[in-house]
Amino acid sequence: MAVTDRVAPGSDTPPRTTSTGPAVATTAVVAGTAGPAGAPALDPAFVPDPTVEVRGASVWFGQKVALTDVTCSFGPGVTGLLGPNGAGKTTLMRAMCGLLKLNEGRVTVVGADPHSDRAVQAAVTLVPEDEAVPPALTARRLVRYTAALHRVTDRSLPDRCLATVGLVDVADRKVGGFSKGMRQRAKIAAALVTNPRVLVLDEPLNGADPVQRVALIELFQALGRQGRTVVVSSHVLNEVERLATRQIVLVRGRLAAAGTHRAIRDALADRPRSVLVRTPAARALARSLVALDTVRGVTVDGPTVVVSSERAGELAAQLPVVARDVGARLHEVRPLDDSLESTFRELLR
Amino acid sequence: MSVPAPPPPPAGAAVANTPGGGDPTAGAAGAGSPDAGRALPSPFLAVLDYTLRACLPAKRWWGVLVPCLGAVLFGYLGTLADVSTERAFAAVAEEGLFGLVVPLTCLVIGDAVLGADIRAGTFPLTWLSPVSFRTIVIGRWLGGWLVALVTLVPALALATAVAGVPEGIGPIVLAGAAGSAAYIALFVMLGVLARRAAVWSLAVVFLGERLLGGVLSGIAQLSPMWEAQQVYAGLAEDHGGTRLLRDGTPHGWSAVIRLVLIMVVSLAVATRRLRRLRPTGGDD
Repeated sequence: MAVTDRVAPGSDTPPRTTSTGPAVATTAVVAGTAGPAGAPALDPAFVPDPTVEVRGASVWFGQKVALTDVTCSFGPGVTGLLGPNGAGKTTLMRAMCGLLKLNEGRVTVVGADPHSDRAVQAAVTLVPEDEAVPPALTARRLVRYTAALHRVTDRSLPDRCLATVGLVDVADRKVGGFSKGMRQRAKIAAALVTNPRVLVLDEPLNGADPVQRVALIELFQALGRQGRTVVVSSHVLNEVERLATRQIVLVRGRLAAAGTHRAIRDALADRPRSVLVRTPAARALARSLVALDTVRGVTVDGPTVVVSSERAGELAAQLPVVARDVGARLHEVRPLDDSLESTFRELLR
Repeated sequence: MSVPAPPPPPAGAAVANTPGGGDPTAGAAGAGSPDAGRALPSPFLAVLDYTLRACLPAKRWWGVLVPCLGAVLFGYLGTLADVSTERAFAAVAEEGLFGLVVPLTCLVIGDAVLGADIRAGTFPLTWLSPVSFRTIVIGRWLGGWLVALVTLVPALALATAVAGVPEGIGPIVLAGAAGSAAYIALFVMLGVLARRAAVWSLAVVFLGERLLGGVLSGIAQLSPMWEAQQVYAGLAEDHGGTRLLRDGTPHGWSAVIRLVLIMVVSLAVATRRLRRLRPTGGDD
């Protein structure tokens, strides 16, 4: 599935949406950045002044496909990379940092290939999700090691970065003894000390308590306001909404949607949904529901009614009214397919 | 490629959950630590320091020190044999010191300095930096060799002294130093080439060097085990070394040169291979 149109090699202008193909329509649905009147809208998968460009990126590991023809770009500010587990977020982030070579397509960071050009590593820093930090190092030595590799000359910067993530008091403790949240913050401090232009954070809020979560979100937003490109992945929709105004959604290795969180929210609200209703007056309720134009179909099985609707929001408002009219007492009302994965999957249809 | 420097990390966005953690510019917060505020080392010294501190955890140290203790015991074993001291030590050196202690100790060290780091998923910390691959490989190798120099080489010298062949201390120190340099480079290379580097390293030592190298002098010429032994054999001819001389294999200083060549080629291959490496996380 080609989600977006391709950028011509050497082109300086961001690509624009085309009017054909279902994939383009998917992004158009969630387009949050309309162009000037009369002009075609800017594809929300792209930014006008990109620091990271991904073009037709495909990655597979043997028979397993991790990324399929992903094309998008990232620019200054915070961008959320959203998707269920196994969607390809980590693969894309590793490719952006040069840790992984694409099987097809191209990734450029500040105009160069991060896998082959070592100089790019001065501009991009990854905070990986896994807890792989050298357990024998103290937090301070971890940050100082990273600083030395990046030829940092300011000797006070490592401690300032540790203070930024609230680890200065435990800086001489070994990272191996840290909790998951503390390790995550140690890795963030090690990333900050490199003064990165592009900061890629893979599930950085995992393990953080609510207070740290708020502080880290503020930190990432502040870094974005400074003009850095901050890419934050998560499978928690609400978390990314608070972090980033622009979001890229990956599902099963494909780019499913891109745009503002409001546009994506709207797209999700309009998706088909099945709702289970348990009531003693199931048949009477089903008869009334099937007459509604918001309802696509109804199945009855004893006291259970399963209602399919393309406009779940409207159905939620109508259901109590209909139930009252037919005198049906509702014992249970719950969505049947509300997992994040099924929600995202709808974006691929 | 020129990358415009962005501004420093934000001063007002601290994760202030600890006292003193709120002010990122408060450099005095870590003033009690010996490392706080110290000048940052060069990338090469940082890699070397990391190798010495992070790559050899406590369990690995046992893996290094036990064979070294074994070396001394081998030396003592030489005194118990009912033959001349030189002859007994030659037998012990061939089978015990060069055939077992040197390769096993170097395997533990050589695998730790790079292969284990890659397997544990901690290598991206180093890989994701603008430091050249040559600096990384040489820094890691040097760190491993320094560990061998302060553990294995004194143990070999002590074994020689305990065995009652003090004249052989100089040659065995040289043989141990050159042999461990080549061995650690070889295991660093295997760490980059193979995912199960420890298994491959064991296969190289026991199948390649001991079995095949024992009968084929062509393989022995490329083997740190045999060449290290030939360093001792050539330089300690008057002290039992002649018993270890092997036809068709360089000995003495020629063996030292051969070991240096093995080391250089192994490090070059490791550097080249590192460019193509796709370091993964520990979970992958």
